[in-house]
Amino acid sequence: MREKFVNSFDEISDKLIESTIEIFVGMVMMDISVAGDPLTKLGPMKQSITGMVGLAGTHKGVLAVHFPKPLALAVTSSFLGMDVEEINEDVQDAIGEIANMLGGNLKTILSDKGKDIQLSLPSTISGDEYNFSSQAEAEQLIIPFKAPDGEFFVEVELEHA
Amino acid sequence: MAKNVLLVDDSSTMRKIISRSLRQAGLDFGEIFEAGDGQEALDVLEKESVDIVLSDINMPNMNGIEFLREKASRDGIKDIPVFMISTETGDDIIGEAKSLGAVGALKKPFTPDKVNEVLGPLM
Repeated sequence: MREKFVNSFDEISDKLIESTIEIFVGMVMMDISVAGDPLTKLGPMKQSITGMVGLAGTHKGVLAVHFPKPLALAVTSSFLGMDVEEINEDVQDAIGEIANMLGGNLKTILSDKGKDIQLSLPSTISGDEYNFSSQAEAEQLIIPFKAPDGEFFVEVELEHA
Repeated sequence: MAKNVLLVDDSSTMRKIISRSLRQAGLDFGEIFEAGDGQEALDVLEKESVDIVLSDINMPNMNGIEFLREKASRDGIKDIPVFMISTETGDDIIGEAKSLGAVGALKKPFTPDKVNEVLGPLM
C-alpha cells in the first residue's frame, strides 16, 4: 500500500512540474525550470513568503509554494505588469493565487470529479525566519524550481489514505 | 455594441490578470466592473448595466455556486450570462454550475489566446 502511495507521488511530481511551468510561462510571464531532484525536507525559510491551500475530503493535506522575498517581488511584478518593491497586499494576493492555481491543479491530478476534495481559500505567511512544519503522518514532496531571480519550492504534503 | 463585463474573484491579482487578458485577446468590451465575492457581484448586477459575468467559484462569503443559485432567483438579473473562470474544473462542480445557468467554464491558468477562443463568441 505504501509503495503504491509512493508511486502515485511520482505521478503527482511529474504533473505538478508541468502545471507549475504552465502557470509561470503562461500567466506570470516568467521562464522557469526544475532545479534538481525532488527533496523530502526543507530547512527554515529565511526572508521568505509562503502561499498555501489546504485539501480536505478523500485526500487531506496542503500545497505550499515558498519564495525568497526578492523572487516574490519579481514574480508579482511580472504577474501584475507593474513594479512592486516591498511585500504588500499585492504580493500576498499574487503568491496566494499561484498557490490557489497549483492547488486546483493538484486537486485535478488527484480526482477529476471535483466534489470529493475541497480546497481551502489561499493564505500566505512571511517573515525573517520560520519553519513550515509537516503533519507527522504526511508524505512530503518538495520540487525545487529555478527562476531568473532565484529558486523557489513547490511542496505537497498528503496524509496517508 | 461593446459588452459591459463584471469580473468576480476574491483575488485582486486575478481580476487584473483577467482584465489584461481580455485586452490582450483583442476582445471588444465596454466597461469592466469588479466584485470580490458573490454577494458583491449581486449588488453590482442590481445597480449597473452588465452584459456578461466572469466568475470564480472558490470565494469567501458567497462562492460562485451560491452566487449562481441566488442570481437565478432574482427576476431582474437571472438572464445575464455567467462564465466560470476557476481552478475548480471538476466534472461535478462544473456540471452543477451549468445546471444553475453557467454558460461555460475556463480553467486557470489560461492564456490570452484561450480567453479569445472561449470568450470571443460570447462578446
